[in-house]
Amino acid sequence: MKTRWLWNIVVSLFMIQAGGGVIAAGAEDGRAIVQASFDYWRGKTSVASVDMTIHRPDWQRVMTMKAWTKGELDSLVVITAPAKDRGNGTLKRRQEMWTFNPKVNRVIKLPPSMMSQSWMGSDFSNNDLAKSDSLLNDYTHRIIGTESHEGKKVYVVESTPKPGAPVIWGMQKLRIREDHIFLTQEFYDEDLKPVKIMTARQIEMHGGRLFPTVWKMRKADSKDEYTQLVYRDLVFDKDLPDSLFTLSALKNSPR
Amino acid sequence: MYFRLGWRNIWRNPRRTTVILTAIVIGVWSMIFLGALMRGIADQMIQNGIATLTGHIQIHHRDYRNDPAVENSIAEPAPMEETVAKLLPPGSHWSARIRVTATAANARHADGVTMVGIDPPREARVSFIGKAVREGRYLRDDDAFGIVIGRALADKFETGLGKKLVLMTQDTEKNIASRAFRIVGIYGAEMEATEKQYVFVTLSAAGEMLKLNRGISELSILLPDHQLVAGTLATLRGAPSLRTYDAEPWQNLLPLMRAYLEIYDTFIFLWYLVVFIAMAFGIVNTTLMAIFERIREFGLLKSLGMKPWWIIKEVLAESFFLLLIGIIVGNILSFLSVLMLMNHGIDLTRFAAGSEFAGISRVIYPSIYGRDVLLANLVVFILGLVVSLYPALKAARFKPVEALAHV
Repeated sequence: MKTRWLWNIVVSLFMIQAGGGVIAAGAEDGRAIVQASFDYWRGKTSVASVDMTIHRPDWQRVMTMKAWTKGELDSLVVITAPAKDRGNGTLKRRQEMWTFNPKVNRVIKLPPSMMSQSWMGSDFSNNDLAKSDSLLNDYTHRIIGTESHEGKKVYVVESTPKPGAPVIWGMQKLRIREDHIFLTQEFYDEDLKPVKIMTARQIEMHGGRLFPTVWKMRKADSKDEYTQLVYRDLVFDKDLPDSLFTLSALKNSPR
Repeated sequence: MYFRLGWRNIWRNPRRTTVILTAIVIGVWSMIFLGALMRGIADQMIQNGIATLTGHIQIHHRDYRNDPAVENSIAEPAPMEETVAKLLPPGSHWSARIRVTATAANARHADGVTMVGIDPPREARVSFIGKAVREGRYLRDDDAFGIVIGRALADKFETGLGKKLVLMTQDTEKNIASRAFRIVGIYGAEMEATEKQYVFVTLSAAGEMLKLNRGISELSILLPDHQLVAGTLATLRGAPSLRTYDAEPWQNLLPLMRAYLEIYDTFIFLWYLVVFIAMAFGIVNTTLMAIFERIREFGLLKSLGMKPWWIIKEVLAESFFLLLIGIIVGNILSFLSVLMLMNHGIDLTRFAAGSEFAGISRVIYPSIYGRDVLLANLVVFILGLVVSLYPALKAARFKPVEALAHV
């Protein structure tokens, strides 16, 4: 009896110790997981052809665009179809963003006032694209649980803004699969009510790695209003010159 | 003699006299009372404008008024502030500010605002914000991330005390500067538009965010009396350390208000004109009727030896009394009405949205200007006598022979 009782205490102490260890490691692991999935998503460079569908209850609009990204900070997106929007583009270099409209032949640098406006009319804001790396730098990440998807383990990460970080969200909840694939990103306001949700599904082999083909951003309180990105050709780690991420490249629409 | 005759004559027909007296009383009352109301509106507009951050005089960088961007800041305000402190009349207050346009955003809303970086204790003496905080608290010197916003903005953004608000603007290096502030206080202002536009942070927080170091956008000065504006302005403009900067009085800073005030002035003038013309017709009509009724009497007076000039004087004396009584009673009535409204004013809160558009506050208090009262009385009196000349001249011209034979 006595031994039993002692054994129980030892086991409980061990469990508490182990549990504490897991919780302490959760924060570091959280950041590592998010960083890894970020790197996986962007690769060193990527070139993609994307169909964007903006869906509303009364209407729907489809655009095709070509997107080049380099590292975490630079990207160039140019619309290739439909004909009336062809040539419109957005260049992001570090924290600055420019848009180009061939019809007026004007490059506009996005001022802070336009950052919260929607990008190309979709449910993404200019800020979402410009500060895509803010998820890494402005938040502390904590693993709060695990689920499973297609037989693989999925980490549920809760990202809380660091005090003083200039982000408008109160919290973000991410679901990242163990092979570094982003599945879901939920944006919460300060009262922790969901505002918008991004989901990535239909994971297929692209350019040598598994990648979600269909990304959907919708408002939390409406199923019928969303923006959907469908990736067609996707190539990773191709060598992209720095001159691709310049204003002249933005104006002259590389193919 | 004329006055005795005049007085007795007007009471020969008490009903007619009362009617014309009523007309004059109402005319004078409306001139003074409505004039006072309009002056009250105008005065409050000025006070509002001055209290809502304009102050009596403002000093800026030369290009700031054309382009209120962060580049046009006063980079080294210290020498200017010293000069200002020395030159201002005693009892004045002044405060430095950083003022730029920014975008305010939270998780669900984003809109343009004007970010004002203030020095909390000094600003409280210069503009309305010191006393305007209704919920939470006013800013303190050490509030690095505190922000005070207007009630209308808080409602629009569906936010409240303790919540975050992210401000985004451009700093001096042309990069995007953003900072998350916490709402520490919510203020109420006379106009909803003010509440939606201005958000207040500390001068140091704004300076840090914009990388301005010690620079400021403007210096706002409140003088103890607005009569001193012109003199102080001249002194300031002559000072050597202020030569590269622009010192402007509130009249130039609020040109829309100046336009409104001029409209009100013209309106008062036209109102007086219209009221007087209406009254003039009444006076002429009444006096003319009285004359024609007494044609035989005038004929008799003339044949008894009353000179034409004396007849004119007699008729004018009648008008004199009518006008005098009317003016006195009208003035008394006006003062009583103003006295009654002085405490509570006319409450226009039901029409607040519309009146705000015209720049009028929610409660109107009348404000009597001696100049207006004097003008109204003089106009009525002198012009009243002038128009009575017509019937008087007519009376003086009756030929005694025809007049006596008149039926």
